[in-house]
Amino acid sequence: MRAFSKLHPITLFTYFLIILLFSMLIRNPVTVSLSLFGGAAFCSALTDKNEKISDIKFYLPLGVLIALTNPLFSHNGKTPLFFLNGNPITSEAVWYGIFLSLMITAVMLWSKGYSKTVTSEKFLYIFGRAVPETALILSVSLGYVPKMKRQAKKIKDAQKTLGLYSKGSFTDNIISSVKVFSALIGWSLENAAETGKNMKARGWGYKKRTSFYIFKFRPADALIIILSLLFSAVTLAGVFTGGLSFSFYPGISSLRLDFVSVSAYVCFALLTLMPFFIESEENIRWNCLRSGI
Amino acid sequence: MDKKIISYFIIVFGVIAALLLGNTVFASVKYVWFIAAVSALSVIAFIISFEKKEHSATYLLLIAALTALSVMGRLLFAAIPAFKPVSAMVVITAIYFGPEAGFLTGALSALISNFYFGQGPWTVFQMAAWGFIGFFAGLIRGKLKNSRLMLALAGAVSGVMYSLLMDVWSAVFADGTVLWSRYIALVVSSAPFTAIYAVSTAVFLLLLQKPIGRILQRLKDKYGL
Repeated sequence: MRAFSKLHPITLFTYFLIILLFSMLIRNPVTVSLSLFGGAAFCSALTDKNEKISDIKFYLPLGVLIALTNPLFSHNGKTPLFFLNGNPITSEAVWYGIFLSLMITAVMLWSKGYSKTVTSEKFLYIFGRAVPETALILSVSLGYVPKMKRQAKKIKDAQKTLGLYSKGSFTDNIISSVKVFSALIGWSLENAAETGKNMKARGWGYKKRTSFYIFKFRPADALIIILSLLFSAVTLAGVFTGGLSFSFYPGISSLRLDFVSVSAYVCFALLTLMPFFIESEENIRWNCLRSGI
Repeated sequence: MDKKIISYFIIVFGVIAALLLGNTVFASVKYVWFIAAVSALSVIAFIISFEKKEHSATYLLLIAALTALSVMGRLLFAAIPAFKPVSAMVVITAIYFGPEAGFLTGALSALISNFYFGQGPWTVFQMAAWGFIGFFAGLIRGKLKNSRLMLALAGAVSGVMYSLLMDVWSAVFADGTVLWSRYIALVVSSAPFTAIYAVSTAVFLLLLQKPIGRILQRLKDKYGL
């Protein structure tokens, strides 16, 4: 399981950067629909049943809300459907609203996929070596957060046994959070100063720092990077030649279906479906092994 | 020296590439592109300038702890909408450690807390927004240290500025251009949250600035920083 997240961090980061930029910046209904489909397929391979249901409950109303509100803000377009408070509701704005909700949902789904696969450790691996001091701050504070969570719980438990904030009302909630937070500040700053002294005593900054990671760049990574770059080059060719250009205002333009744009669509579809294919291949293999075939 | 040249090269090349791509390939969605590029480049520029100086381990650790505290603030108060100490912690860091540390704390707080709340294209913009709050607070830190009124005012302004900036992102992200009607609708619909955020930032600043100052002073005496 989770085959895609086993790839090298650089492969993953390149892929998500390309897909997020394309989904955000190419305003074409076909590519956005493809991106939404690919993102949804990928997320469905990553999540279990309960999470899928809660995702649908979150994204569907959000998409509908965006689609419905757009015609209220935007009165561009040349075909008014009816007038609301003297403002025209145009058919172009309705279509653009639908397009917008597809685009935003697609970007959010891909971001979810990114959050699930590119963990903080992989992020540090990519950027850590170029900026060592910032990376140190980043990794130390990433380590502090769970430590502080534990400490916050300890502080809160201790204060509760003293009989403080037993009512659980809203003001109690705020006051207890503020008190726990201020106790946490003292604890963590002291801890940080001590750790800093400790590090200095052990020779921090004396030599160039090294770091340990277990990521390996495998042939599969090279293949996936090459494929992603190839597919995105064809898609970009479609953008450069205007084969993918599409406009909603003032009137909805027609889709171009010549060789350049169709090949761009096909390549973009392959690009968006890549993670899903990798995940499902692994899922099938896993199921075969389990059923003993 | 090599590193310096490379870092300048990255910035200059980045600006040129951003402008060219924005005007040619992504002309229809120029503004999203420009906003994302400007935020990313400003974050990169600040981090590079921070890396150029040598910092002591204790200094880096204290910045890390303050960053983690502002992330914790966002987690600890997650149940209460918009009532967050994040901007307050960023401003306090800027007061005691200067504009660069303020920017870094703001930017990294956004980055780290989004590992919990979900990363996305908005992360870059959020990093720049919180970063600049820290930077500007650091520039006027002398005034903020001496006057409680200025401190409360700075808290409220930074709270409002953060909300207004994030609404710019939402509006531009949706339309690809600047559509004032949508921006105003967003600002109006988020006004209650903006108000709570501004007030809570001011309150947190007034509550926390002196105690944190005392703690840092004590650490200075104890460890001879």
